[in-house]
Amino acid sequence: MKSTSLVFGVKQTARSLRQNALMSLASVLTVALSLLVAGLFGLITANLGHIARLAEQQVEVTVFVHDTLPVEAVRTVESQLKALPGVTQVTFVSKDEALARLKAVFANDKDLLAEVEQQNPLYRSFEVRTARPEQIKPTAEAAGKMTGVVKVNYKQEVIEKLFRVTRAIRVSGLAIMVALALAMVMIISNTIRITVFARRREIAIMKLVGATDGFIRWPFVCEGVFLGVVGAGFTSLALWSSYSWAWSGVQRGMPFIPLLPKQPLLLDLTVLILGAGALIGAIGSALSLRRFLRV
Amino acid sequence: MIELVDVTKVYPNDVVALKNVNLKIDRGEFVFVVGPSGAGKSTLVRLLYREEVATRGQVIVHGKNVARLRRSSIPLLRRTIGVIFQDFKLLPDRNALDNVAFALEVTEASRREIRRRVPAVLDLVGLKDRARAFPHELSGGEQQRLAIARAIINGPSILVADEPTGNLDPDTSWGIMNLLQTLNRNGATVIMATHAKAIVNAMKKRVVAMDHGRIIRDQVQGVYAHEVN
Repeated sequence: MKSTSLVFGVKQTARSLRQNALMSLASVLTVALSLLVAGLFGLITANLGHIARLAEQQVEVTVFVHDTLPVEAVRTVESQLKALPGVTQVTFVSKDEALARLKAVFANDKDLLAEVEQQNPLYRSFEVRTARPEQIKPTAEAAGKMTGVVKVNYKQEVIEKLFRVTRAIRVSGLAIMVALALAMVMIISNTIRITVFARRREIAIMKLVGATDGFIRWPFVCEGVFLGVVGAGFTSLALWSSYSWAWSGVQRGMPFIPLLPKQPLLLDLTVLILGAGALIGAIGSALSLRRFLRV
Repeated sequence: MIELVDVTKVYPNDVVALKNVNLKIDRGEFVFVVGPSGAGKSTLVRLLYREEVATRGQVIVHGKNVARLRRSSIPLLRRTIGVIFQDFKLLPDRNALDNVAFALEVTEASRREIRRRVPAVLDLVGLKDRARAFPHELSGGEQQRLAIARAIINGPSILVADEPTGNLDPDTSWGIMNLLQTLNRNGATVIMATHAKAIVNAMKKRVVAMDHGRIIRDQVQGVYAHEVN
């Protein structure tokens, strides 16, 4: 691109934005609001996914063994567990240790504690961790079949539910985003169409004196990208401040909810939203020009 | 330079504008295309710079069949053909200088080149002192001179004029014809569709007469119509 056409394009863009101020403002606001909805969905799904993943990482299989099982057999169970694919850590929990943990949880319930201290009803157990969350279930099933194992516990169902919810939100969010993207393209394309229509004579003459399609298209694409990026800028500001506000609110009131840290999340989202704004603007203006370039 | 081989043009509304037209124009010729309204004159000249595409037959310009040009090559063809219209087709929101510069900007010429060539061309068409005037401030003749300046700024080897004097009074028309003749003497091939009987008869150039989409006469040093003789 030579400097002449660059200057030409920028002049044209400025001219038509001025002449078309109200419509331009309307499309900037539409783009900003649509991207805001998309951005909020993005923030929500990112955080839900984060929470689900964290919870999942904490999942472990607890394998309880019979009280009657001799120590050697318990060792065998341990080595069998360690040999299972994906198992990264196997921790033995003795009857005393299990009791100590129970005491810690039910420190206020003296009656219960007195009863269990007379005769410890708790099993010896192994806490088994796996490298990947999806290895939890097969590990649990394999452990259940080992001799001497009484019971196997894992909280996979809760996690799976959480993942299902995240997935549902992500899918519906994506559908909404696609619909919004189409709406944005149409709005921008319509705004540019007004400019194109006002200058159709000029475009026809440009074609007659030998302007290439690219040369004609470029100022309009500039205008569309400008509208998209300005809208996306407003969205980024709104998302940035609202997430910061929500984040410190949660930190103060509900610190046990593990929200994603503000950075790099907001920075990534801003880049994504500005890119989407530019792309939508470019597509919108290119669409509105197609008909007029056939001279 | 220009050759039409068995060209037929049918518009989408089934109007047959040209029927089996054959025509050859050499480099440096000055050709009038005459005939009543609807004879196919405008269609014929529009085929040359590919505003229209022939339904059948070949339109060859600079040795190339224009219908076969790639989309990206059409602008390059148009830069070698200057086009002048009856209604001038100037941009009302730009002054004379910018109207001409526009045709150069489109070719991505440098700003230095634009500053050098535009005043020279305005001088050539006699509008040196009107460079800052907007089209509505110019007379009809001046507007057509400006349109000619725009048409020749890229140094085209072919000038196509579609009724260039149609909106002008006789005196002004002669000014335009003198300008076209000068450009022709400087090497440009000129093809002019026209109704202007007096001009055609006085200039004694090649005349291609058309009627109902056919060429009915092609005469060197011709006149507008036989009856005049």
